[in-house]
Amino acid sequence: MEEKLIEFIRDEFLDEPDTELTESTKLISSGMIDSFSLVSLQTFIEKEFGKRIPAPRITAESFDTVKQMIEVIKQF
Amino acid sequence: MISLEFFGILIVTLILYWIIPRQSLRNILLILASFAFIYRLDKWSVAVVAGLSVLSYLLGILIHKYPKKNWIHACGVVFVLGFLILFKYLGFLVGVFNSLADFISALPQFEMRKLLLPLGISYIVFKHISYLTDIKWGLTKPGRFIDFLLYSSFFTIFVAGPIERFERFKPQVEQSRQPFSWSNIDYGFMRIVFGLFKKLVLADWIGYFIAPIWANLHHYGQWTRLLALLGYSFQIYFDFAGYSDIAIGSSRLFGLKIMENFKNPYLAPNISQFWRRWHISLSDWIKDYLFFPLSKLSNKGLWQMFFVPVIAMALCGLWHGAAWHFMIWGIWHGLGLSALQIWNQYKRKHKQLSKASKATWFNYAGIFMTFCFVTLGWWWFR
Repeated sequence: MEEKLIEFIRDEFLDEPDTELTESTKLISSGMIDSFSLVSLQTFIEKEFGKRIPAPRITAESFDTVKQMIEVIKQF
Repeated sequence: MISLEFFGILIVTLILYWIIPRQSLRNILLILASFAFIYRLDKWSVAVVAGLSVLSYLLGILIHKYPKKNWIHACGVVFVLGFLILFKYLGFLVGVFNSLADFISALPQFEMRKLLLPLGISYIVFKHISYLTDIKWGLTKPGRFIDFLLYSSFFTIFVAGPIERFERFKPQVEQSRQPFSWSNIDYGFMRIVFGLFKKLVLADWIGYFIAPIWANLHHYGQWTRLLALLGYSFQIYFDFAGYSDIAIGSSRLFGLKIMENFKNPYLAPNISQFWRRWHISLSDWIKDYLFFPLSKLSNKGLWQMFFVPVIAMALCGLWHGAAWHFMIWGIWHGLGLSALQIWNQYKRKHKQLSKASKATWFNYAGIFMTFCFVTLGWWWFR
């Protein structure tokens, strides 16, 4: 799950593919991912993992890093 | 909100609140205080708040009981939204229709008595829509009616928000006993003092200087008008952030933590970040219940990049008031968000630009440009 999320984020949202991206890189609060990208991320998670994450869970507080994303995905 | 009624009720309720030993009785006290406050400001609103709360609570139970029946949620949202349309937008919509009828003679003209706008209706309706939708999404459960009624009417956040979510509010009032803490009292009073300073000193003084210019704009030159616009930009920020501070501080006196509403919005490096820092409870609401669902309607780039931000922000503008200028202000921001998205995609394709955008000066330029964009937008809002 972690690898797939990192790969998707790197391919879709990062300006430079060689930017360091780990499970604890801050993505929303750092401005790396904006609201538009979050919609694509939500769709990706739904298609890839079959989990529909409600928008109120996709926030800078609870969905900022890949690690947090995995925790939220596991809740649904 | 800054009135003798508010602070009188706040102090009396605060003393009684911490004397009462049981949380359920404290919640009843807060509801009584809230209804007393609403009654003092607008008697008619008491009936609206009570009626809407009973109906939304019953709808919430039905949605929770039948989670797969989407029509119950849809009807509930339409019904709650109907209250807002009836009281706030019907006059505006009839006016738009009559303007059309001036051009098309076949259309009839309508006359309408102006309905009294119940106090806090925009806030309560948005709170109830989030409540019903969060139940549908499985994020929260209906709980006790008394907790929901307190959520709907809580006087510290009733008039000017923040638009708190039931999911965060419920666990705080549900517990057996909210523990007393001097740090909460300290923090609460400190936020109230900060809020009063922002509102009464900064916002009102700026308002005092710029009001004569706004009253006779055509008498002044371009630079003075620009100065008035700049002043308004800070006035509206201190005004609203001040109210939010008072609301958050007053709630904290009762041990209740309400979400932050402003985080240095004028230091945002782009318009998307601005909306993560300005009226956060509203922008989060727009993101969760408008932006995401609208984006899901189509995968087409034009829809997601242009129409969704413009529609969502136009509705955000209309939420502030039933008038064209609020809608234009919203569209202005929607276009800004759309332009940012196009810029981000362009940047991704041009690595040199992408590298340059990481420089410190680029960040400062972004802050300056975002501030200018937002400040120009206030021209429509005022």
